Amino acid sequence: MSEKAISHAYLNGLVFDLEKAFWDERGRGCRFRMMEVGREIYESDCKTRIQSAEIPAIVSAVQEVLIEKGIVGSVNCAQEDPTLIVSVQGCLHLPVEDRMLEKGIEPFTCVPANLIIMGIEDKLNRQVELAEIKCENGVCQLLLVVFDRPAAVV
Amino acid sequence: MSETFNLAEATLKAIQDRRSIREYSAEPVSDEDLNLILEAARQAPSGENAQPWRFIVVKDEATRKKLGDISGGGSGRRFTAEFMTKKMQQRFATLEDEAKKKAAYEKLTSGAVSMFAAAAPVNIIVIGRKDVWDLPYDTSAAIENILLMVTALGLGACWVIAPCIDVRDEIRLRKLLNIPEEYKAVSLISIGHPTRPHRPRPRMALKDIVFEEAFGNPYYKEEA
Repeated sequence: MSEKAISHAYLNGLVFDLEKAFWDERGRGCRFRMMEVGREIYESDCKTRIQSAEIPAIVSAVQEVLIEKGIVGSVNCAQEDPTLIVSVQGCLHLPVEDRMLEKGIEPFTCVPANLIIMGIEDKLNRQVELAEIKCENGVCQLLLVVFDRPAAVV
Repeated sequence: MSETFNLAEATLKAIQDRRSIREYSAEPVSDEDLNLILEAARQAPSGENAQPWRFIVVKDEATRKKLGDISGGGSGRRFTAEFMTKKMQQRFATLEDEAKKKAAYEKLTSGAVSMFAAAAPVNIIVIGRKDVWDLPYDTSAAIENILLMVTALGLGACWVIAPCIDVRDEIRLRKLLNIPEEYKAVSLISIGHPTRPHRPRPRMALKDIVFEEAFGNPYYKEEA
């Protein structure tokens, strides 16, 4: 297999087709089925890098990993209990969201959001819901709701 | 005095009398009734006759409590997200009674709306083999058969997707019930004796949902 990097257009074209196929099958329920996308990256790259059980530390660790991998430009967050608003700038996958919006489909999955959620569930043992993904002017704004309910129910 | 129905009438009556029952008395569901319910499930149509369904009967109180926790957690998260993004307020915009509206918000966002599995005498968790073509359709047909038999027996049930719709909750459910990887958890059906009668929920008119030959051309010209 060639080690040459594949083009972003090719990658995002495939991601869009996969997401669209899933949307066509599952409709708005898609969102809840995509929450484990990114699990391998979380386990292999993010988990050990999270230095403290504080939300800013979790976001910071995820940001480091995603910048290193060339996926995003920056990830910032603002907490206002119980919400966590995350801004993602310069995401490699933004063209996927743009194409979804062109089709009239609200973006329903986001790897940076998933990684942050995995971190909060893992390190703080709190459940989190991705309530909204808004993409405008090259920035994705993610609305997360952080609950007191323990993630480890079982 | 008992009423008499022919088969078509009896079938329609079971279909029309079915309700989503979320409150149950403490009376247990008999083994005889449960056998009939599971037999009805087993007789559902199945693509290629693959019969991908499997059923886990849960009566244990501690397990029911955890089922309620998983279901309530999932519903609470989703409905809270709806509330925070104002979608729930749009959904209830026509409800003028503010007290009722507030109670509805509270019931939904707290997850209480889906926690009743803990109080149901019996829960049937429907799972399906993944290595078939028609898993969601076959298992859904089995679930509808369950609901109709429950109704025919004078019991009440509710089809709950809350512990399965979010993949994270499905993982919790799989862990709780030791569900193997090759099966998908589809739904939970809570069953018991209803505490009170329930009114039917409104249904769209046939003239609005049935088309003739192609989409958009009403099959029914008048109200049906």
